Amino acid sequence: MHEVGIAHSILEAVRTEMLPYTDAKPVKVTVKVGAMSGVDRNSLSFCFEAITLGTPFEKMILEIEDAPADELELKNLELEEP
Amino acid sequence: MSGTTTTVNLERKVLSENERLAAELRGQFARHGIFCLNLISSPGSGKTALLERTLASFPPDKRVAVLTGDIQTDADARRLAKYGFPVRQITTAGACHLDARMIVRALEGWDLASLDLLFIENVGNLVCPTSYDLGEAAKVVLLSVPEGEEKPLKYPGIFFKSKLMVLTKVDLLPYVPFRLDDAIANARSVQPGIEILQVSSTTGVGLDAWLQWIEKRLGTESANVG
Repeated sequence: MHEVGIAHSILEAVRTEMLPYTDAKPVKVTVKVGAMSGVDRNSLSFCFEAITLGTPFEKMILEIEDAPADELELKNLELEEP
Repeated sequence: MSGTTTTVNLERKVLSENERLAAELRGQFARHGIFCLNLISSPGSGKTALLERTLASFPPDKRVAVLTGDIQTDADARRLAKYGFPVRQITTAGACHLDARMIVRALEGWDLASLDLLFIENVGNLVCPTSYDLGEAAKVVLLSVPEGEEKPLKYPGIFFKSKLMVLTKVDLLPYVPFRLDDAIANARSVQPGIEILQVSSTTGVGLDAWLQWIEKRLGTESANVG
């Protein structure tokens, strides 16, 4: 279940990226997960939901896209600014 | 009320912090000419047994060390320390894999200049260690014959990323329904270039080929070969 660790890394990246956008709301983060990356998509979604519960990131969507081979990358972050 | 949507490009690895530390480790290993192998397998596939046979075959002045990871106990470190070479246990206290930070910490205080060869025995697990670069020159996956020939298809990630597959416990081949040709074909279907060795740490069969595989790379391939 290293997906908990992966989920934390994703959330950490989102937090860091959001620092300059003080009033923005996180909407969606997209990650690319290759079939050979050793990461299970369902576990990752489950873990991400679990660690964001009750936080300002609770409503944020984690979108998982196909990627070649062992790729495990952050693609982009969608924010809503007032 | 609806605001404006902004998309921020991230375009970097999820495990970028681990990647950074792994790159530092790889740089250190290269500077000191250390050939580092990351051994990965299911629990009980014979990583420690193979390392015991390997260490036992070395002369006392061999510049080798071992980091061994487990969730609990220092049993493996005690087994491996008998051979007189530096060994450190990394106890992960629950974590199912080693990450680069654990390696950085475990190496603190060790004189890397005194080493040519470093074995990292990962936590027994075919899935989670796959994602974490430890700065090694190559990952080596062990598959013991009682586990079955379908493992490379069921857990393709680690076979995809490994430079070498070591089939272990081959002395048991007459007693278990393991189709050797299928196992090799399965591993090659995931990664055509994977090198394959067959060993038994009980009988010693194949150990020479394993030792030669290592010796051939010592001092020449401290950078990534895998």
